Amino acid sequence: MGDYALLYILFAPFVGAIALIFVSNRQAMLVRGIAAGSAFVCLLASLYLFYAYDHVKGGFQFVQRFEWSRQLGISLHLGVDGIGTPLVLASGILLFAGIFVSWHIKDRTKEFYIWLLILAAATIGVFMSLDLFFLYFFYEMSVIPMYLLLGMWGSHTKKYNEMTDPEGLKQRDSVGFIFNFGSNSKEYAAMKLVLFLSAFAVAALMGILLIYKYSGLNTFDILVLREQARLMNIPVLGTTLDKIIWLLIFFGFASIAPLWPLHSWSPVGHAAAPAATSMLHAGVLMKLGHFSIIRVAFEILPETTRELMPIAAVLCMFSIVYGGFVAFYAKDTKYVIGYSSSSHMGYVFLGMAALDYISLTGAVMYMFAHAMATGMLFAMAGWVYDQTHTRDIPSLGGLSNRMPFISGCFVVGCMASIGVPGTVNFIAEVMIIVGSWNKYPFQVIVAVVGIVLTLAYLFKMMRGLFYGPMDQKYSHAHDAVAVVDRLPLLIMITVSIGFFFFPMHLYNVVRSGVDPLIAKITRVVPIADSGAGFGLMTEATGPAGTHDAQLLANNPVPPTSHTSREPQ
Amino acid sequence: MNFSLTMSPSDLLLLLPEILLTSWLCLILIIDFSFPRLPNEQLAYLSIAGLVATLGCLAWFDITGITGTLFANMFVLDRMALFFKMFIVGSTILVILASIDYIHRFKFFRGEYYFLIVMSALGMMFMASANDLLSVFVTLEFSTFGFYVLVAYLREDMASNEAGIKFFILGVFAAGLLAYGISLVYGETGKLVFSDMKAAQATPGLAIGFLLIFGALGFKIGAVPFHSWIPDTYHGSPTPVTAFLSIAPKGAAFAILLRMFFVALATFKPIWVLLLVAASILSMTYGNIVAIAQKNMKRLLAYSGIAQIGNVLIGLAAGTKMGSDAILFYLLTYLFANLGAFAIIIAVSEAIGSEEIDDYSGLGRRSPFLAFSMLIFLLSLAGVPPLAGFIGKLYIFVAAMKEGLYALITVGLINIVISMYYYLIVVKKMYISEPHDPSPLKVSGPIKMVVYVCLAGTLAIGIYPQPFTDWVVSAILMFSNLAVPTASLPVPPAVTPFGG
Repeated sequence: MGDYALLYILFAPFVGAIALIFVSNRQAMLVRGIAAGSAFVCLLASLYLFYAYDHVKGGFQFVQRFEWSRQLGISLHLGVDGIGTPLVLASGILLFAGIFVSWHIKDRTKEFYIWLLILAAATIGVFMSLDLFFLYFFYEMSVIPMYLLLGMWGSHTKKYNEMTDPEGLKQRDSVGFIFNFGSNSKEYAAMKLVLFLSAFAVAALMGILLIYKYSGLNTFDILVLREQARLMNIPVLGTTLDKIIWLLIFFGFASIAPLWPLHSWSPVGHAAAPAATSMLHAGVLMKLGHFSIIRVAFEILPETTRELMPIAAVLCMFSIVYGGFVAFYAKDTKYVIGYSSSSHMGYVFLGMAALDYISLTGAVMYMFAHAMATGMLFAMAGWVYDQTHTRDIPSLGGLSNRMPFISGCFVVGCMASIGVPGTVNFIAEVMIIVGSWNKYPFQVIVAVVGIVLTLAYLFKMMRGLFYGPMDQKYSHAHDAVAVVDRLPLLIMITVSIGFFFFPMHLYNVVRSGVDPLIAKITRVVPIADSGAGFGLMTEATGPAGTHDAQLLANNPVPPTSHTSREPQ
Repeated sequence: MNFSLTMSPSDLLLLLPEILLTSWLCLILIIDFSFPRLPNEQLAYLSIAGLVATLGCLAWFDITGITGTLFANMFVLDRMALFFKMFIVGSTILVILASIDYIHRFKFFRGEYYFLIVMSALGMMFMASANDLLSVFVTLEFSTFGFYVLVAYLREDMASNEAGIKFFILGVFAAGLLAYGISLVYGETGKLVFSDMKAAQATPGLAIGFLLIFGALGFKIGAVPFHSWIPDTYHGSPTPVTAFLSIAPKGAAFAILLRMFFVALATFKPIWVLLLVAASILSMTYGNIVAIAQKNMKRLLAYSGIAQIGNVLIGLAAGTKMGSDAILFYLLTYLFANLGAFAIIIAVSEAIGSEEIDDYSGLGRRSPFLAFSMLIFLLSLAGVPPLAGFIGKLYIFVAAMKEGLYALITVGLINIVISMYYYLIVVKKMYISEPHDPSPLKVSGPIKMVVYVCLAGTLAIGIYPQPFTDWVVSAILMFSNLAVPTASLPVPPAVTPFGG
């Protein structure tokens, strides 16, 4: 293991997918076994990676570099820092859980697992790429499996089914049908997702190509570019080149995040996707956006990031509030969770926009925490759908009698999603709020309102699904009793609660990735963190904020910020 | 100019692949006449044997570095010519393999079919070596001649006849353009060999002459606005001929275009860049937008082919060594993806007798192998990683980016998204729609072989392109000292560590 941990994590799912090609679809257990086995290797290796990451040393570790194309200056350069490590772990956990969540898929099981493994591997690839080319390569590679997973194993919305029912004939002739019909089908959702994400991905690619050209270094290597790329002050189209590149990169990647005006593919896609795909999609795929912005824009264009990041601070408010309100009024379980995800991603943008040590650490921890919480919720929504064949909240109810385990877990999932103390989400949320308070107090107030909204819509959904009177036609629905059905939920709950009680390693790892970045962007040395733990966090931020301002005012251009970033 | 035709044995060596193929061509014809009852497959394998021998000979030349010129520079055998010859011969082998199951549709002249295909390949091999306007004309007509017949080979089929007529009339028109262009250029410069024209003065006559030549070659590659024959001809021709037509002549024509623009017209780059940018933008946009509306697989690939050629023209517009590398590389990726897709069209049309996209419904259930391969080929054409097409597109974009062709790259990137839509429509039919008739499809051996080769090529180039890029880069070393005016790069001013 050791140095090759990244290769195990990245290639285990690929190897599993290739092995599955040669297995017959009739041997269902073998298919599942291979998928679960390769996911297990991936999970073990990512656990090892997470705990073996040396947060005192920081920087990029487990680095692997293979020459890939001399002519284009591309190498397969892999490595993780404190920001990538927890996200790789989250992907590993969600992939493993997703394999079990989709244990009962009967139709073309083999193909399903192949695409799921490729999707997860591509996602993981983004988190460990240190080469712009491969970042884009894996990013785009993760989009296509989504199309097939949504299209082949996804589900239509209620409206679509009503319209195609024999009884829905009257509706079929209505104008509403013509305008609404397509947009309720899974094919529409899949196509929209792919085209939307690809369209913005090529914008990001344009940004990457511009970086490549104007750096003049003939390389896509992020580590080289962040030290040597000089993209400032080149006037283009009435502004400067770095701003154009930054906007292309930011909005290109923010579409998958999804930031408010670019979010419309996301709930539709979540709703159409099968449970395991929704989990991976909301859990880690959406984080590709934040991660890529951090990796590309923050690393290579720190100055521009400081100048333009307020854009995110403005848009994240709309994300939080809009997502929250739509989730409150949505009647489809997956729409609720989907909109809640896009609302919660607004917190991450807030944490990133504040450009503060605490808030960015909180944002990265929130990505990890949200992956667990939303993974649970989607897994359970998928279970309820499998049992009742509907996602329509008003027609459901009282299921807690039929499925006590699921309804119990659902409470935990809701708590985690809201950020109740006891789950790691709480820590992350508090860090985001506290860290951004100095810079964006108004946004913080909006975020707190967003938490109240989260509480409202999740409790409303919980009541609608599990409590109240039950329709007798759901009396055949049964609980998750088998080990394979309970295992994924228990894993995610354990992780979510476990990191609340033992957050220090997660915090330290993330912090070791955040420190050099923020130091480079804000040119402020972090406040001494004696390492005594969380108690210091809130104490440290207060002075840190004011201190930042003074430092900036008095000393706008410290000569060498890279070297002065070591915490004293 | 010295037109003496004294030849030494070492000169003959340079012509060895062509001589080999010509004698093989006669052999095919003689055997076909002498043994009329010979099963078709035998003749196909015989042709393939000859082509493989030619390929081996070309590879030997490439490895040992046998190059040179003949006939007072009319015929040049450099590594680029060798690359294109291997490209043409390789695609011919695959096309003949894919034809074996299709051939029963021809009522007559089954033997001559192979003869005509190999003859066209021979013409295109000469095209790849043409270094002179006269040899351009002769070889271009020689290679097109076979196609005129091949396109109309389904004699009972109206569409095929229409395709033949359309191709013939427009082809002859293009030949007229070419001849007129050549006469104008010769009149203005008094030169015929490309490398002699470097010092030519820019005159209106020369400009019109080259414009006409570009028109004739644009007809050959199917770039907008010379594309009008493509959809009907592709649709009506026998499918293997369509596959052949969509690959090999494009490679040969790009060999000539590269020599013409990069050698003869190198000094006029600022002018022709505009022409190529316009042709490229028009081809990509037109091809992709019209492809959306197509209901027939062959027409879809015809329009997507127009768009792909627009992509290749980006590399030509870049006008650098890297641009020419990217063109060769892109054509290589296009060869595998496009031939593979056509092989599957042949297989499906053999099994269900239809080429309509709607009849591909549920192919994922009826034949997982065909559907998966088609998925790979279409995604490669769309440019999705980790497939060959993505690397090809990126290579071209990087080459153009280095020359600062931002508008062109923007249009190209937008077109990737547009093209993704119609390729995914086919994917949707294959995987998401339920089959009209769930019976499994049978795929014959030769087609399977073609598909395997194309799959291997598409995946290998996509996953590890280094050997292939090395090959194309060394194939056009002759352009490395290309005198191209450097694009006006805004020189970044000295930047203080943190701006200001």
